[in-house]
Amino acid sequence: MAIVAETSRFSKTGRPILAWIVGLIFFFPIFWLVLTSFKTDADAVKPEHLIFFTPTLENYLNMTENYDYWRFAQNSVITSVFATIFALVVGIPCAYAMAFNPTRATKDVLMWMLSTKMLPAAAVLYPMTFITKSVGLFDTHFMVIVVLCLINLPIVIWMLFTYFKEIPKDIIEAAQMDGVNTWGEVREILIPLAWGGIVSTALLCFIFCWNEAYWTVRLTTTEAATLSKLIEGNRAPEGLFFGRLSAVSAAAVGPIVVLGWFCQKQLVQGLTFGAVK
Amino acid sequence: MSNRTIPRLLQTPAVILLLIWMLVPLSLTLYFSFIRYVLNSLRRPEWTTPSFSNWRGFGNYEFVLNSKDFLFAIQNSLLIVGSILFGTVILGVLIAVLINKAFPGRGIVRVLLISPFFVMPAVNAVLWINMILDPVLGLQGIAVGGLNNMIDGLQNAPLVGWFFSLWPEFEPISFRATQTSAYAVIIMVTWQWTPFAVLIFMTSLQSEDEQQKEAAILDGASAWSQFRFLTLPHLGRPIAIVVMIQAIFHLSLYAEIEIVSRGNGNKNLPYLIGEFANNNIGAASATGIFAVILANIVAIFLLRMVGKTLME
Repeated sequence: MAIVAETSRFSKTGRPILAWIVGLIFFFPIFWLVLTSFKTDADAVKPEHLIFFTPTLENYLNMTENYDYWRFAQNSVITSVFATIFALVVGIPCAYAMAFNPTRATKDVLMWMLSTKMLPAAAVLYPMTFITKSVGLFDTHFMVIVVLCLINLPIVIWMLFTYFKEIPKDIIEAAQMDGVNTWGEVREILIPLAWGGIVSTALLCFIFCWNEAYWTVRLTTTEAATLSKLIEGNRAPEGLFFGRLSAVSAAAVGPIVVLGWFCQKQLVQGLTFGAVK
Repeated sequence: MSNRTIPRLLQTPAVILLLIWMLVPLSLTLYFSFIRYVLNSLRRPEWTTPSFSNWRGFGNYEFVLNSKDFLFAIQNSLLIVGSILFGTVILGVLIAVLINKAFPGRGIVRVLLISPFFVMPAVNAVLWINMILDPVLGLQGIAVGGLNNMIDGLQNAPLVGWFFSLWPEFEPISFRATQTSAYAVIIMVTWQWTPFAVLIFMTSLQSEDEQQKEAAILDGASAWSQFRFLTLPHLGRPIAIVVMIQAIFHLSLYAEIEIVSRGNGNKNLPYLIGEFANNNIGAASATGIFAVILANIVAIFLLRMVGKTLME
């Protein structure tokens, strides 16, 4: 690359400046949300307090009182964590078998799994409501966990498969020669070697669960309602509660946005199913 | 146990779970779409329980096809998905090329750029429709008000006042209205998904053949022709993948549409299904089958593409 020196003036100064401007524009709405969350509800709609205002933490301190935030947050944490754990428990053995003992059917099975992800959720909306209500699981943590686990399972298996494929087969074969059983292979070889891949898969699955906004809204009312449901239920304050709504929204997305910064690379793989490298 | 048995056993739970998840609800949808099934009916209480004796054949499909909301929902779905795809791909390519070269603070710019993608859809919609796009209290309203005040002030200025008195009074746009709510959804989703396109195009640009590029530069190729004949063809496949993945996600947009206008003037198929499902389950199910067909058309192309790289 050193042979070709950057000559154009644009590349030297224009590019960084333009790139920074674009980055700041894209980040601005999030910045604005956080800024508004430090204003009182009254200040939040006054043009004269657009930028200059007395910051207050009252919106954050009153989140429980105003929105019962922590109950919804707790539901989001419980459902996302358990859905991720279940997806891994079911996904790791499956991806392991596919990566190390591929058969002619493996490719088709993987493609079929992916195709379940493409089924529009709305098409099965009523049957799902019908089933969950008739077995008494509507608006329960268990049901939300199962659904979140299943909608993310194809992506989890797919990502794990691409990571496991990178592990040299010789290592596994050597272990088999030594008489290590399957469980031993998974525990002693697979998990230590693919630890990074498993962690990034888990993080991405967790993010997708946290942000899910169709089933969590349609299959819950109060008991198992997540943060998506909370925000959706307070959608149109007509300017009355901009401050407090911003605070609760910022609290709902903050942790996930930060978590997302750490799995940018995995995101590409997870969402394109390894088709873009 | 033989060598083959254990791998098969390990795959079984995942396969069975996904099989149930796919087949059971979808069969019910298919069944409901062929019977008369409503949640409340004083006149025909027998229709409120699903049963084969309420068989309606393709009646629900006919009903859906003849309802004016259906055609509108399809058109509107295509408008929303098409506009978002157009916006995200163009912006995505431009931004990816812009930040592909090293510059001071590139890492931070990347973090700033990717952030919108991790905002949950409900917050995205609430944030844009209230704090930013609201015609009175949002930034849009405040900005338009400020602009009008500035023009008012300048009308009294010496020398150039006459010029500003020619200017009209600007009206803020109400994005909750029937005609504009689709645009609000397009804006907010484009904001959220452009980072996704950028990320994928950037990943792909990193595998671009540098030697080819250097040769082109030595041959005196302009920046534009490098972009047109090297970069753009290289991005062809990622663009196709971004288009298809987004199409699948955006065909089932729901939270944004619900929050912006409760579907007022801005329905898509999932929203229409939700509305039918308040009472007419037969029609909701028939609409669901149409949605499956629409998604499948996109999915087949995507799966083919993904399948090619799978076993490499």
